[in-house]
Amino acid sequence: MKRIFPAITTMAIVALALSGCSSGAGGSASASAGSDDGGVTELTFQSWVPNVDKAVDLFNASHPNIHVTLETITAGPDGGYATMFSAVKAGNAADVAQVGYDWLPDFVRNDAVEDITQYVSGEIDKFVDWQVSAMTFNDAIYGIPQASSPLGLYYRSDVFKKAGITKAPETWDEFYADAKLIRKLGKDNYIAAFAYNQTPWLIGLSEQAGAKWFTAGSDSWTVSINDDATMKVADYWQKLIDEDLVKVEADMSNEWYKDIQNGNVASWISGSWGDAIIRGNAPKTSGNWSVSYMPQWTAGESATGTWGGGSANVVLKGTKHAAEASEFALWLNSNAESVSTLVSIGAGWPAIEDTSAITSLTNDPDVFSFYNDQNIWKVFAESDANVQNDWRWPPLVSTLYSTLIDNVKSSIDNSTGLSNAFDETQTGMIDALTQAGVATTTN
Amino acid sequence: MSTTIPIERLTSRRKTRQRRRSGPIGAILLFTVPFALMFLAFYVAPIIYAMVQSTFAQKSSGLGLGALQEVFVFFDNYVRALSTPSFIASLGRLFLFCIIEVPLMVITATILALLLEAGKAVWPRAFRVIFFMPYGVPGVIATLLWGFLYVPSTSPVLQGLAAIGIDITPLQPNSVLFAIANISLWVYAGYNMIILTAALNSIPSELYEAAKIDGAGEWKTIFLIKLPLIRPSIVLVTLFTIIGTLQLFVEPLVLSPLTTAISSDFTPNMAAYNQAFAQGNSNLAAAMAVIVAILAFIMSFGFLRIVNKKGSEAW
Repeated sequence: MKRIFPAITTMAIVALALSGCSSGAGGSASASAGSDDGGVTELTFQSWVPNVDKAVDLFNASHPNIHVTLETITAGPDGGYATMFSAVKAGNAADVAQVGYDWLPDFVRNDAVEDITQYVSGEIDKFVDWQVSAMTFNDAIYGIPQASSPLGLYYRSDVFKKAGITKAPETWDEFYADAKLIRKLGKDNYIAAFAYNQTPWLIGLSEQAGAKWFTAGSDSWTVSINDDATMKVADYWQKLIDEDLVKVEADMSNEWYKDIQNGNVASWISGSWGDAIIRGNAPKTSGNWSVSYMPQWTAGESATGTWGGGSANVVLKGTKHAAEASEFALWLNSNAESVSTLVSIGAGWPAIEDTSAITSLTNDPDVFSFYNDQNIWKVFAESDANVQNDWRWPPLVSTLYSTLIDNVKSSIDNSTGLSNAFDETQTGMIDALTQAGVATTTN
Repeated sequence: MSTTIPIERLTSRRKTRQRRRSGPIGAILLFTVPFALMFLAFYVAPIIYAMVQSTFAQKSSGLGLGALQEVFVFFDNYVRALSTPSFIASLGRLFLFCIIEVPLMVITATILALLLEAGKAVWPRAFRVIFFMPYGVPGVIATLLWGFLYVPSTSPVLQGLAAIGIDITPLQPNSVLFAIANISLWVYAGYNMIILTAALNSIPSELYEAAKIDGAGEWKTIFLIKLPLIRPSIVLVTLFTIIGTLQLFVEPLVLSPLTTAISSDFTPNMAAYNQAFAQGNSNLAAAMAVIVAILAFIMSFGFLRIVNKKGSEAW
């Protein structure tokens, strides 16, 4: 009998989610009503960053008047954001939450975040400019940047050496030449995976080439997902795919983990947190990895990009303690000890401007020994400093992500070319924005 | 299915006791009201809510950074769903999957049941349990298991085949539906087999004796006695399979990251899920869910009509 009802249950599930009374949303945030027992303000903080409780404990220990309870939730894109939106609608959201820079416009659009300008404007200068820009809409600040993901090139120096390559590729032309050399090592050897599942990766590569997919005008968005810079990137990777120089495979999949363990995939362009992924999943390759700056389109430049921008802490709409919640978000992401903890748990590259007091960046033997005693943070410090302040995230970012992935997948299956995938995404995204009532223009 | 018998006995005993105390109306209410309330609260109300939601849309204006407005849009969401090429493609894919999966499932389950029922079957009980076991594995886990077996670099089977020169990649665009059908078959064939075995067991042995006296062999007994008599159960199994395949969701969702051949709107249910939980457009998702429900309704009742028209006494 079990299978006769699914049609109805699907609708039931959808409807339950709509009404915001799904048990996940309702039950999880109940503590946020907050009581002021004995003058202590109770706050709830929702995050999925592993081990972030260490930083929360530091805050609680040094703030007798505020007590923060950490609630570990599903990562945002996997359902965490949906939970937050429902909870805000139902009026029982947490006070502080983890939100990616890419998703913040949708939070503002859904009226799910508090304008915290009045509480944080005095200290917001502590943070890097481009990240503050990502928090700012209509001149109001909606979040505290926590960590960014500047890109770098992780590579297997042992495999590169075996292929006769003595230094990391400094330009994309060199990367192409190296790809050919590594491909000659064996039938399973590739310089990199083409991660068709990873929009932030594709966006990071485009951003590095100078793409600006979204530009906010005074009352409309200029959308140019298929601009010249992006097309250059698309054609380049299409060439690598056509010549079988990269392995078309999802990154951070079982297949891919196996390939980085045995050296079949010899490099990965990723954010600073990529270190934790590699060390955690390929511990036996210790000493074989190095990190270098991203290859350049024009030799001698230092263009870079990010992996989905970064991650912020926001104050969710409906909290009774916006001031205390802002104080917590600010302290968590600017106090030297707290930031040092965040770095060591792999939260990402710190969003504060002055990182001189962050001890885990200068002295981290566990990390450096894995990279043959290279201080890999120097690479990411440089990369982060070179991120341009002109990439903007649009509303409906999830539509952008799923449309782009679907189009990239189908362009690979039907051999229609990656450039076609970006053309299709341009059309699809404009259509979706228009349907949602957002004004768009094209170049 | 055998578990239902004691419950029926129990209820009939309680019914008689109840009748003596408060009369038939009280008894009827006592037994129907709890169900009716739950049914209304958890099935009917959400369906109505979904239908209502499917006629609204969330609209913003300008840069889309101001507050959203909920607008009544009549059937716009349905028009939008049905004019999205990828949604139509997902419906087409689903029908294709039905055509592959339904006969495969019904025939496999019937053959398994007949084999177990055959007089010469070896260890029928052990095999029944073995065939039924995959049904105890949750769909997600089953798909993860098969996912490992389908990807060449993690599959010992495919690696073994590759070593002797046979290169198979099940998750290619032209074979992915079969790969999914295989998982569903593995999970549900044993379950359907149990339904058919129960039906076979209830055939009176006099009929077999009569057939034997008339000189019918094994094959004739199968085609002239067993299959016609378990026809209602076969119809039931077919119906379950049709409805089940229309709900195709878990298998492609779990396999999706492993292949370029499965998009985020591979099946209508995935499209609805993607709209609701990834893209935040629950109104469009509600419209898609209603479309799938209507299709499931049409196909199941259409199937029943076709079967009944042939004038079978057994149904």
